[in-house]
Amino acid sequence: MPFYELSLTLRTLSRPELIASLRRSAETILQQGGVLRQFVSLGTNPLPFKMKAHNIWHREGTYFVMKFDAPSSAIENLNDEFKRDIDLIRSHVVRCEEPVQHECTLEEEMKPPAYRKDVQQLIEEGQKVVRHKFKQNTPGFDFYPFQK
Amino acid sequence: MSILRKVFSDFHVSNFYRITGSKLLPVRVGYSTTSSTSSQPKDDLPAENLTNPYQKEKRRCVLCKYNVKVDYKNARLLSQFLSPFTGKVYERNITGLCKAKQRSVEREIIKSQNAGYLAVMLKKVEYIRDPKLCDPNRPVRPHRY
Repeated sequence: MPFYELSLTLRTLSRPELIASLRRSAETILQQGGVLRQFVSLGTNPLPFKMKAHNIWHREGTYFVMKFDAPSSAIENLNDEFKRDIDLIRSHVVRCEEPVQHECTLEEEMKPPAYRKDVQQLIEEGQKVVRHKFKQNTPGFDFYPFQK
Repeated sequence: MSILRKVFSDFHVSNFYRITGSKLLPVRVGYSTTSSTSSQPKDDLPAENLTNPYQKEKRRCVLCKYNVKVDYKNARLLSQFLSPFTGKVYERNITGLCKAKQRSVEREIIKSQNAGYLAVMLKKVEYIRDPKLCDPNRPVRPHRY
Protein backbone atom coordinates (compact mmCIF):
# COMPACT_ATOMS: atom_id res chain seq x y z
CA MET A 1 0.00 0.00 0.00
CA PRO A 2 1.43 3.43 -0.82
CA PHE A 3 2.47 5.76 1.95
CA TYR A 4 0.38 8.91 2.41
CA GLU A 5 0.54 11.96 4.59
CA LEU A 6 -2.51 13.88 5.75
CA SER A 7 -2.10 17.42 6.95
CA LEU A 8 -5.12 18.58 8.93
CA THR A 9 -5.97 22.08 9.99
CA LEU A 10 -8.48 21.91 12.83
CA ARG A 11 -10.35 24.81 14.33
CA THR A 12 -9.61 25.96 17.88
CA LEU A 13 -11.17 23.42 20.21
CA SER A 14 -10.81 22.46 23.84
CA ARG A 15 -8.52 19.52 24.52
CA PRO A 16 -11.14 16.76 24.87
CA GLU A 17 -12.95 18.01 21.75
CA LEU A 18 -9.66 18.11 19.83
CA ILE A 19 -8.90 14.54 20.85
CA ALA A 20 -12.38 13.42 19.79
CA SER A 21 -11.99 15.15 16.41
CA LEU A 22 -8.60 13.55 15.77
CA ARG A 23 -9.94 10.18 16.82
CA ARG A 24 -12.79 10.57 14.35
CA SER A 25 -10.40 11.38 11.47
CA ALA A 26 -8.14 8.46 12.38
CA GLU A 27 -11.09 6.11 12.49
CA THR A 28 -12.23 7.14 9.00
CA ILE A 29 -8.77 6.20 7.73
CA LEU A 30 -9.00 2.82 9.46
CA GLN A 31 -12.51 2.25 8.09
CA GLN A 32 -11.22 2.78 4.56
CA GLY A 33 -8.64 0.07 5.13
CA GLY A 34 -5.68 2.20 6.14
CA VAL A 35 -2.91 1.60 8.63
CA LEU A 36 -1.81 4.55 10.77
CA ARG A 37 1.88 5.13 11.26
CA GLN A 38 2.45 8.38 13.06
CA PHE A 39 0.74 11.47 14.45
CA VAL A 40 2.66 14.73 14.50
CA SER A 41 1.43 17.93 16.12
CA LEU A 42 2.56 21.21 14.60
CA GLY A 43 0.87 23.34 17.22
CA THR A 44 -1.83 25.98 17.36
CA ASN A 45 -0.85 28.95 15.24
CA PRO A 46 -2.52 31.90 13.58
CA LEU A 47 -3.39 30.93 10.03
CA PRO A 48 -1.48 32.59 7.14
CA PHE A 49 -4.76 33.91 5.73
CA LYS A 50 -8.35 33.77 6.91
CA MET A 51 -10.12 30.63 5.78
CA LYS A 52 -13.78 29.88 5.53
CA ALA A 53 -15.04 26.45 6.50
CA HIS A 54 -18.69 25.56 7.02
CA ASN A 55 -19.81 29.20 7.00
CA ILE A 56 -17.31 30.33 9.66
CA TRP A 57 -14.21 32.43 9.07
CA HIS A 58 -11.16 31.08 10.89
CA ARG A 59 -7.99 33.00 11.74
CA GLU A 60 -6.36 30.47 14.07
CA GLY A 61 -5.95 26.75 13.75
CA THR A 62 -4.32 23.60 15.08
CA TYR A 63 -2.04 21.78 12.65
CA PHE A 64 -1.73 18.01 12.75
CA VAL A 65 -0.01 15.58 10.41
CA MET A 66 -1.02 11.92 10.15
CA LYS A 67 1.12 9.45 8.31
CA PHE A 68 -0.57 6.32 7.09
CA ASP A 69 -0.66 3.58 4.50
CA ALA A 70 -3.87 3.09 2.58
CA PRO A 71 -5.12 1.61 -0.68
CA SER A 72 -5.13 4.23 -3.41
CA SER A 73 -8.86 3.74 -4.01
CA ALA A 74 -9.60 4.89 -0.47
CA ILE A 75 -8.27 8.42 -0.90
CA GLU A 76 -11.28 9.70 -2.79
CA ASN A 77 -13.60 8.49 0.00
CA LEU A 78 -11.33 9.97 2.65
CA ASN A 79 -11.44 13.40 1.05
CA ASP A 80 -15.19 13.16 0.85
CA GLU A 81 -15.43 12.34 4.57
CA PHE A 82 -13.07 15.12 5.60
CA LYS A 83 -15.02 17.70 3.62
CA ARG A 84 -18.05 16.99 5.76
CA ASP A 85 -16.29 17.19 9.11
CA ILE A 86 -17.15 20.54 10.74
CA ASP A 87 -14.02 20.65 12.90
CA LEU A 88 -11.66 20.52 9.95
CA ILE A 89 -10.74 23.75 8.21
CA ARG A 90 -8.47 22.16 5.65
CA SER A 91 -7.37 18.64 4.86
CA HIS A 92 -4.66 17.78 2.37
CA VAL A 93 -3.58 14.25 1.49
CA VAL A 94 -0.14 13.95 -0.08
CA ARG A 95 1.55 10.90 -1.46
CA CYS A 96 5.01 10.41 0.06
CA GLU A 97 7.68 8.97 -2.15
CA GLU A 98 11.39 8.53 -1.79
CA PRO A 99 12.98 11.55 -3.45
CA VAL A 100 14.92 10.65 -6.56
CA GLN A 101 18.64 11.26 -6.05
CA HIS A 102 20.07 13.36 -8.81
CA GLU A 103 23.14 15.46 -9.48
CA CYS A 104 22.87 19.23 -9.33
CA THR A 105 22.85 20.42 -12.94
CA LEU A 106 23.55 24.07 -12.11
CA GLU A 107 27.04 24.00 -13.65
CA GLU A 108 25.59 22.77 -16.94
CA GLU A 109 22.83 25.42 -16.89
CA MET A 110 25.19 28.29 -16.12
CA LYS A 111 27.26 27.72 -19.26
CA PRO A 112 26.77 30.10 -22.18
CA PRO A 113 23.93 28.89 -24.43
CA ALA A 114 26.19 27.53 -27.16
CA TYR A 115 27.82 25.10 -24.71
CA ARG A 116 24.62 23.79 -23.12
CA LYS A 117 23.54 20.31 -24.13
CA ASP A 118 19.83 21.07 -24.41
CA VAL A 119 20.50 24.09 -26.63
CA GLN A 120 22.83 22.00 -28.82
CA GLN A 121 20.07 19.41 -29.18
CA LEU A 122 17.63 22.14 -30.24
CA ILE A 123 20.06 23.38 -32.86
CA GLU A 124 20.49 19.84 -34.18
CA GLU A 125 16.75 19.39 -34.41
CA GLY A 126 16.42 22.66 -36.29
CA GLN A 127 19.00 21.61 -38.81
CA LYS A 128 17.23 18.35 -39.55
CA VAL A 129 15.57 18.53 -42.95
CA VAL A 130 12.11 17.04 -42.77
CA ARG A 131 11.17 15.59 -46.06
CA HIS A 132 7.43 15.37 -45.63
CA LYS A 133 5.97 15.52 -49.04
CA PHE A 134 2.30 14.80 -49.37
CA LYS A 135 1.83 12.19 -52.04
CA GLN A 136 -1.54 12.67 -53.59
CA ASN A 137 -2.85 9.53 -55.17
CA THR A 138 -3.35 11.09 -58.62
CA PRO A 139 -3.26 9.28 -61.92
CA GLY A 140 -1.79 12.35 -63.62
CA PHE A 141 -4.69 13.91 -65.51
CA ASP A 142 -4.82 17.49 -66.78
CA PHE A 143 -8.13 18.27 -65.19
CA TYR A 144 -9.58 17.22 -61.80
CA PRO A 145 -13.23 18.04 -61.23
CA PHE A 146 -14.67 18.87 -57.75
CA GLN A 147 -11.35 20.18 -56.38
CA LYS A 148 -10.46 23.72 -55.26
CA MET B 1 69.16 -5.77 -15.51
CA SER B 2 67.15 -7.63 -12.93
CA ILE B 3 68.41 -5.20 -10.23
CA LEU B 4 67.30 -2.23 -12.34
CA ARG B 5 63.86 -3.79 -12.81
CA LYS B 6 63.56 -4.35 -9.08
CA VAL B 7 64.47 -0.69 -8.42
CA PHE B 8 61.85 0.51 -10.90
CA SER B 9 59.18 -1.73 -9.43
CA ASP B 10 59.91 -0.40 -5.91
CA PHE B 11 59.80 3.24 -7.01
CA HIS B 12 56.23 4.27 -6.13
CA VAL B 13 54.37 6.65 -8.38
CA SER B 14 53.22 8.68 -5.37
CA ASN B 15 56.49 10.59 -5.46
CA PHE B 16 55.29 12.41 -8.57
CA TYR B 17 52.22 13.74 -6.75
CA ARG B 18 53.77 14.80 -3.47
CA ILE B 19 54.24 18.43 -4.54
CA THR B 20 50.90 19.03 -6.23
CA GLY B 21 49.08 17.31 -3.36
CA SER B 22 46.33 15.92 -5.58
CA LYS B 23 44.58 12.65 -4.98
CA LEU B 24 46.56 9.55 -5.84
CA LEU B 25 45.30 7.91 -8.99
CA PRO B 26 46.00 4.50 -10.45
CA VAL B 27 48.39 5.56 -13.18
CA ARG B 28 49.23 2.96 -15.69
CA VAL B 29 52.84 3.71 -16.37
CA GLY B 30 53.84 1.56 -19.25
CA TYR B 31 56.04 -1.08 -17.67
CA SER B 32 55.24 -4.73 -17.18
CA THR B 33 57.13 -7.59 -15.61
CA THR B 34 56.70 -9.81 -18.68
CA SER B 35 58.53 -7.74 -21.34
CA SER B 36 62.22 -7.51 -20.74
CA THR B 37 63.58 -7.40 -24.31
CA SER B 38 62.89 -3.62 -25.01
CA SER B 39 65.91 -1.31 -25.00
CA GLN B 40 64.00 1.85 -23.83
CA PRO B 41 62.72 1.79 -20.21
CA LYS B 42 58.93 1.83 -20.46
CA ASP B 43 58.21 4.16 -17.53
CA ASP B 44 59.37 7.06 -19.71
CA LEU B 45 56.03 7.03 -21.53
CA PRO B 46 53.49 9.77 -20.68
CA ALA B 47 51.10 8.84 -17.89
CA GLU B 48 47.49 8.15 -18.77
CA ASN B 49 44.24 8.95 -16.95
CA LEU B 50 45.46 12.10 -15.25
CA THR B 51 42.82 14.59 -14.14
CA ASN B 52 43.26 18.30 -14.34
CA PRO B 53 44.64 19.43 -10.93
CA TYR B 54 43.43 22.98 -11.63
CA GLN B 55 39.88 21.94 -12.30
CA LYS B 56 37.46 23.98 -10.22
CA GLU B 57 34.84 22.35 -8.05
CA LYS B 58 31.46 21.92 -9.67
CA ARG B 59 29.10 24.69 -8.69
CA ARG B 60 25.93 23.52 -6.98
CA CYS B 61 22.74 25.31 -6.08
CA VAL B 62 21.99 26.23 -2.46
CA LEU B 63 19.56 23.40 -1.82
CA CYS B 64 21.67 20.69 -3.44
CA LYS B 65 24.85 21.85 -1.70
CA TYR B 66 23.44 21.52 1.81
CA ASN B 67 21.15 18.64 0.87
CA VAL B 68 18.04 20.47 2.05
CA LYS B 69 14.78 18.59 1.80
CA VAL B 70 12.04 20.84 0.45
CA ASP B 71 8.81 20.15 2.35
CA TYR B 72 5.38 21.72 1.95
CA LYS B 73 5.10 22.01 5.75
CA ASN B 74 8.23 24.16 5.91
CA ALA B 75 6.58 27.42 4.92
CA ARG B 76 9.50 29.47 6.20
CA LEU B 77 11.98 27.90 3.79
CA LEU B 78 9.60 28.18 0.87
CA SER B 79 8.86 31.84 1.57
CA GLN B 80 12.56 32.62 1.05
CA PHE B 81 11.89 32.00 -2.65
CA LEU B 82 8.90 34.35 -2.81
CA SER B 83 8.68 38.07 -3.25
CA PRO B 84 7.90 39.85 0.05
CA PHE B 85 5.74 42.37 -1.81
CA THR B 86 3.64 40.32 -4.21
CA GLY B 87 3.98 36.80 -2.80
CA LYS B 88 4.94 35.51 -6.27
CA VAL B 89 7.55 32.80 -6.78
CA TYR B 90 10.86 34.00 -8.17
CA GLU B 91 12.07 32.58 -11.45
CA ARG B 92 15.15 30.41 -11.80
CA ASN B 93 17.33 33.35 -12.88
CA ILE B 94 16.79 35.02 -9.49
CA THR B 95 16.76 32.01 -7.16
CA GLY B 96 19.81 30.40 -8.75
CA LEU B 97 18.51 26.84 -8.28
CA CYS B 98 18.94 23.96 -10.66
CA LYS B 99 15.94 22.93 -12.78
CA ALA B 100 14.91 19.98 -10.64
CA LYS B 101 15.02 21.89 -7.35
CA GLN B 102 13.21 24.90 -8.80
CA ARG B 103 10.41 22.65 -9.99
CA SER B 104 10.14 20.90 -6.63
CA VAL B 105 10.09 24.28 -4.82
CA GLU B 106 7.28 25.51 -7.08
CA ARG B 107 5.25 22.36 -6.53
CA GLU B 108 5.75 22.42 -2.77
CA ILE B 109 4.69 26.08 -2.64
CA ILE B 110 1.41 25.21 -4.33
CA LYS B 111 0.88 22.26 -1.96
CA SER B 112 1.70 24.45 1.01
CA GLN B 113 -0.77 27.14 -0.02
CA ASN B 114 -3.50 24.59 -0.57
CA ALA B 115 -2.88 22.93 2.78
CA GLY B 116 -2.96 26.29 4.58
CA TYR B 117 0.68 26.67 5.67
CA LEU B 118 1.91 29.38 3.35
CA ALA B 119 0.41 32.81 2.68
CA VAL B 120 -0.68 33.47 -0.87
CA MET B 121 -0.74 37.20 -1.48
CA LEU B 122 2.24 38.29 0.59
CA LYS B 123 5.07 37.16 2.83
CA LYS B 124 4.47 36.72 6.56
CA VAL B 125 5.82 39.57 8.70
CA GLU B 126 7.86 37.18 10.86
CA TYR B 127 9.67 35.87 7.78
CA ILE B 128 10.75 39.20 6.31
CA ARG B 129 13.94 39.42 8.36
CA ASP B 130 15.10 35.93 7.31
CA PRO B 131 18.45 35.60 5.50
CA LYS B 132 18.03 36.38 1.83
CA LEU B 133 18.66 33.52 -0.54
CA CYS B 134 17.71 35.45 -3.65
CA ASP B 135 17.89 39.13 -4.49
CA PRO B 136 15.65 40.22 -7.37
CA ASN B 137 17.86 43.27 -8.00
CA ARG B 138 20.92 41.10 -8.59
CA PRO B 139 19.79 38.04 -10.52
CA VAL B 140 22.13 35.12 -11.07
CA ARG B 141 21.39 35.11 -14.79
CA PRO B 142 19.73 37.57 -17.16
CA HIS B 143 16.01 37.29 -17.68
CA ARG B 144 14.82 34.71 -20.15
CA TYR B 145 13.36 37.30 -22.44
